Amino acid sequence: MSRPSQSLPSHATLNQNPSSPISETKPKKGKKKEMAIFSTHLFLLLFITLSLFLVVSTAGSEPELVADLLTLQSESKSGVIHLDDRTVSKFLTSAKTPRPYSFLIFFDATQLHDKSELHLRELRQEFTLLASSFIANHNNSNTKLFFCDIEFRESQSSFHLFGVNSLPHIRLIGPTAKSLKDDSEQMNQGDVSRLAESMAEFVESRTKLTVGPIHRPPILSKKQLGLIVALLLIWSPFVAKKIFAGETLLHDSKIWLSGAVFVYFFSVSGAMHNIIRKMPMFLVDRNDPNKLIFFYQGSGMQLGAEGFAVGFLYTIVGLLLAFVTHVLVYVKDATAKRAAMLFAIFVSFWAVKKVIILDNWKTGYGIHGFWPSSWN
Amino acid sequence: MAATETSTATVPTLYTNTLRNAFGGVLSFFILLLIGVLAFSIRLFSVIKYESVIHEFDPYFNYRVTQFLTKNGIYEFWNWFDDRTWYPLGRVIGGTVYPGLTLTAGTIWWLLNSLNIPLSVETVCVFTAPIFSAFASWAAYLLTKEVKGAGAGLTAAALLAMVPSYISRSVAGSYDNEAVAIFALIFTFYLYIKTLNTGSLFYATLNSIAYFYMVCSWGGYTFIINLIPMHVLLCIVTGRYSSRLYIAYAPLVVLGTLLAALVPVVGFNAVMTSEHFASFLVFIIIHVVALVYYIKGILSPKMFKVAVTLVVSAGLAVCLAMIAVLIALVASSPTKGWSGRSLSLLDPTYASKYIPIIASVSEHQPPTWPSYFMDINVLAFLVPAGIIACFLPLSDASSFVVLYIATSVYFSGVMVRLMLVLAPAACITSGIALSQAFDVFTRSIKFQLPGVSSNAEVDAGETSSATAEAQNNVVKTEKTETSKDRPSRKSKKKEREHVEKPSTKAKAEKKRLLALPLEASFISLLLLVLLGAFYVVHCVWAAAEAYSAPSIVLTSHSHDGLHVFDDFREAYAWLRHNTDVDDKVASWWDYGYQTTAMANRTVIVDNNTWNNTHIATVGTAMSSPEKAAWEIFHSLDVKYVLVVFGGLVGYPSDDINKFLWMVRIGGGVFPHIKEPDYLRDGQYRIDSQATPTMLNCLMYKLSYYRFVETDGKGFDRVRRTEIGKKYFKLSHFEEVFTTHHWMVRIYKLKPPKNRIRGKTKKSKSKTSSTSSPRKSGTKKKNPWH
Repeated sequence: MSRPSQSLPSHATLNQNPSSPISETKPKKGKKKEMAIFSTHLFLLLFITLSLFLVVSTAGSEPELVADLLTLQSESKSGVIHLDDRTVSKFLTSAKTPRPYSFLIFFDATQLHDKSELHLRELRQEFTLLASSFIANHNNSNTKLFFCDIEFRESQSSFHLFGVNSLPHIRLIGPTAKSLKDDSEQMNQGDVSRLAESMAEFVESRTKLTVGPIHRPPILSKKQLGLIVALLLIWSPFVAKKIFAGETLLHDSKIWLSGAVFVYFFSVSGAMHNIIRKMPMFLVDRNDPNKLIFFYQGSGMQLGAEGFAVGFLYTIVGLLLAFVTHVLVYVKDATAKRAAMLFAIFVSFWAVKKVIILDNWKTGYGIHGFWPSSWN
Repeated sequence: MAATETSTATVPTLYTNTLRNAFGGVLSFFILLLIGVLAFSIRLFSVIKYESVIHEFDPYFNYRVTQFLTKNGIYEFWNWFDDRTWYPLGRVIGGTVYPGLTLTAGTIWWLLNSLNIPLSVETVCVFTAPIFSAFASWAAYLLTKEVKGAGAGLTAAALLAMVPSYISRSVAGSYDNEAVAIFALIFTFYLYIKTLNTGSLFYATLNSIAYFYMVCSWGGYTFIINLIPMHVLLCIVTGRYSSRLYIAYAPLVVLGTLLAALVPVVGFNAVMTSEHFASFLVFIIIHVVALVYYIKGILSPKMFKVAVTLVVSAGLAVCLAMIAVLIALVASSPTKGWSGRSLSLLDPTYASKYIPIIASVSEHQPPTWPSYFMDINVLAFLVPAGIIACFLPLSDASSFVVLYIATSVYFSGVMVRLMLVLAPAACITSGIALSQAFDVFTRSIKFQLPGVSSNAEVDAGETSSATAEAQNNVVKTEKTETSKDRPSRKSKKKEREHVEKPSTKAKAEKKRLLALPLEASFISLLLLVLLGAFYVVHCVWAAAEAYSAPSIVLTSHSHDGLHVFDDFREAYAWLRHNTDVDDKVASWWDYGYQTTAMANRTVIVDNNTWNNTHIATVGTAMSSPEKAAWEIFHSLDVKYVLVVFGGLVGYPSDDINKFLWMVRIGGGVFPHIKEPDYLRDGQYRIDSQATPTMLNCLMYKLSYYRFVETDGKGFDRVRRTEIGKKYFKLSHFEEVFTTHHWMVRIYKLKPPKNRIRGKTKKSKSKTSSTSSPRKSGTKKKNPWH
C-alpha cells in the first residue's frame, strides 16, 4: 500500500450534497408487518431445524466470543472495543453466521485527525458517547450490539476487507452478514450529521434495538457548578451594593459606546456569515502554494480576513467623522486641528473609494445616473 | 442637514426669533412634503418600466384577499374559508393571515370610492406600498426629532425615503406585509420615545394602538415587544429609572398585549410563547423598581436603608418565583417555546444545524459585506458616527436609538431578510451623524468667513443647538434629583427656562472657539455633499435597475432590442378562459397563489406552506414515473398540471432547477422517493448521463416533451447541455397549452381507460416498457393507496 493519505480521499465533496434528512430512517410500515409475520414463521422453522446441529457445532465458541467481547468492552473506558486484524477475523470473519451480535464499527485514522474538514475527532467523540449511553441504558447486560473502532495504520487489511477507502465511515455489521463488504450497511453521510442522536436513530432503525437517551456529559461538572454558585453567592452582595450605589461598569457609557460600535463592526464585516458557514480567514492559492488569497471574488461568499478588512473600512469613516465633529472642535491648537482634519479627510476618502472599488471587483457593482437625454 | 435654519425647537424667551422659527417651521413642512413625494415617486420605476401590476407571489395572495374583502365586507372576510386552495382540505383565511395590510388597502379603497374616486382594487393595492413609505419617512422624521432635533429628523427622513433596502420591499406593486409594517414599526418607536420624553398617558395609549397596528401587519412585531423591554431594562440597570419610563412601558405591556391577543393569528400566543415573556419579566421588574423608588421617596435615608433590605428581598423572592414559573412553562413546551426562526436569531448556527428548511431559504442566509453596501450604501460609513453622537450626551431617547441599531445590525448579520429592520435604524443614526457634521462644518465656515462678524446673526443659529444641549442638561439634572419631589409640569418648564438662559449665553461665547479650520471644513462639507450625491445616485439606480422587476413579466435586453416575456399571464389567462371553473390545477407550490388569483382555479398546494404532507404528495407525483403520477393526481381530482420550463429562453428559476427540492420534500414523507436515484454520482444532471429514474420522472417528461422539435437538438439553455432523452411520448397526459416562449406548459390528465381493456393492456405495457429497476409493486408507490 502506498501513502495512506492518498488512498483515503476525504468526503468533502459528498458532504456538500445535502441528502434528504429523514427518508432513510423511516421504515415502511406495511412491509414491516408482512415481514414480521413471515419472519416469525421462518425463524421457528430455522430454529427447529438448525438449532440442533448448529448449537452442537458451535456451542462452545459462541458464548465464549460474547464473553470475550464483554470483557473487552468493560476494559475500555468508554465501552468502545478496539479492533485489529486479529480480532476482526476472530469475531467477524471466522465466527459463523448468524452471529449472536451486531457490530457498529467506526473507522478511524489517527493521521487524519488534524484534517478539520473531516471532523473525525468530533465524530469519534459522538460515537463513544453513543456507545457509553447504549451500555449505560442497558445496564451492561447487552450482548446484541457492540461498538468498535478500527485504526487504519494498525489494520489496513481489515480496511480492505470492509472495502473502506474513504473516511469518515461508520458501518453496521449485522448478525447475518457473511461478506463484510457487501452485506453490512454503511451509515449515510447525511444521516450522521455528526451527532450521537442521529447515529442512534440509524442504529434503532437497522437493528430494532432501542438505544435510549444519550447521556451527554454536562459542560460543567457538579463540583465546578457548585464552586461557581458559591462564588456567585459570595459575590452577589458586593454587586448589589455597587448597583445601588450606581458605580458598576454598566453605568460607564464608554463601555456601552465601544460595545455598540464593536457590534456594528462585527455585523457589517459579515462575521456572522463566517461563523455560520465556517469560512476560513484566508485560502491558499492553488496555483502557487506560497501565495495566500484574502479576497474571494463573487458575491454570496467571503473570507474572514476580507470581511474584517471591509468592516474596518466601514467603521473607520464614521469614527473619524465623529472624532472631527465631537473631539477635534475642542482642540485649541490650529495647526493640529488642520493636520488631523486633513488626515481624516484623506483616510475617509480612501476608505470609501476602496470599498466601492472592492465591491466593483467582487460583484461587478456599477451604477449610473439617470440624466436627461438632452444632456448627452 | 439644515439644522440651523429649520429648527422648530421653541425658545420662548427669545421673541426676536419667533419669526425665524415660524419660517423654519414652514420650510421644514415643505421639505417633509417633498420628502414624501420623493419616497413615493422613487418607487414608481416598476410602474414606468413595466406596468401597474402586482409583483411576485405573496402579493397575489394579499391582492386576492383584498378583493374578497372589498367585495364581501369585513365579517365575511373574517370568516372566510377558502376552498380554492389546498384541495381537498381548503384553508381558513380569516384566522391565519395578518390582516393589517388587507384592511389598510381595503379602507383606502372604500374611502376613495365613497369620495367618488373609482379606483380599482388592484390600483389601490399597487400603490399602497409607496404611500406608506412616505408615511414611514415622516415617522422617521418625528422619531429622530425626538432624539436629536429637527435637523437630524429631516436628514433621517430624506435618507429613509430612498434607502435601497426598504425600496426592495416597497416598490409599487410589491403589495406585501412589510410595506405597511415598517411604517408601523417606526411609528411605534416614535410614540414610545415621545411618551418617554413627555411622560404623557395620551401618547402611551397611542403607542399601544400603534403597536396593535404593527401586530396586525407583520410577524416582526416580536422585535418591538423584545426591544422595548430591553431598553427599559437597560434604563433601569444604568440607573435611569423615572416615572416617565414607567408610563411609557406599563400601559404598552398591558394594553398592547390585550390588543395583540385580539388579532386572530396571534391570539393566545401573545401570552403563551417565549417571544413575549421578556416583556412580562421586565413588567415585573419595573414594578419592583418603581416600588423601591416610591419607598425611597417617602422615607428618610436612614429608614430607607432598613427598608431596602426588606423590599429587595421580598421583590427578589417574587421575581424568582415568577421566573421559576416561566421556566417551567417554557420547559414544558417541546421547542422551549421559541419558534425555530427566533432561535436561529439568538444562536445563529442553530438553523444550519437543525432546520434545513429554514436554512435553505435564500432570505434566511447570512449576508456578506457587499450586501450592506448594496442595501444601505454609504449609510454603512455614517452609522458609527451616529452611534457616537447618540452618546454625547446620552439621553433616554438616544440610548433607545443605540439599542435599536445594535440589535438590528446584529440580526441583519444573521439573516439577510432583517436588513429591512436595520434600514430605518441606519437612516436615523446616519441622519444624526450627517446633521451634526453639517452643523459643525457650516458653523466653522460661518464664523471664519471674512465679512461675517456680527453677533446677531450667529446667535440665532447657536441657540437651536444650544437648546438641544440645554435640554439634555435638564434631563440630566432632573434625573439626579429623581422623583423624590415630583415637580409639576409648570414648574418644570420654568426650571428649564431658568437653566437655558445662562447656558445659551455661555455656550455662544464658547462656540466661537469651537470652529474648525476654514478650508478643511470646506473640503469636508464638499465631500459630505458628494457622499450624499453618491447615495442618491445609488438609490435611484437600485430602485430602477435592481429592485423593480415584477417577476411576473420578464424582460431581457439583447442586441436586437427589448424582449418581453409575458408567458405567465398568458398561461393563467388560458386557464381562466379555457377550463371549467371547478377544475383543479396542480403545480409546484410556488405558483399556487398566482394560479388562484389570476386564473381563479383551485390549486392543490400554494405558497402558504402549512401542510408539508400535501406538498410532499405533489412533490412525489412530480418525481414519480408517469403512471404513478397520474394515479396520484387522479386521486386528487386534478385535471391540469402546470409546469414552468425555462430551457428554451434561459429562465433559470424554473421547475427543473427546483426539482431536487420536490424530490427531497417528497422523499421526506414518502420514502420510496430517494434523492440518490435522481443524482449521477452526487450530481444533478439532465443530459445523457442522467439516471433512468430522472429521465422517466413526470417533471422531466412534462418539461421536455416535444422540446427537441424546437431546434432539432434539444439544447437546454439554462443547464447548457443537450437533454438526455429527446424522443418520447406521453401515455397518461396530453399537452393542451404551451405559452409563446414555452415558459409555462399545461397538460391535461387523460381520462381513465376502459376498465377491462385497460387492465390487460396496462399490465402488458408495464412489463414491456418500464425500465425502472424497482419494479416491485408500482401500486405501493402511490401514497393514496
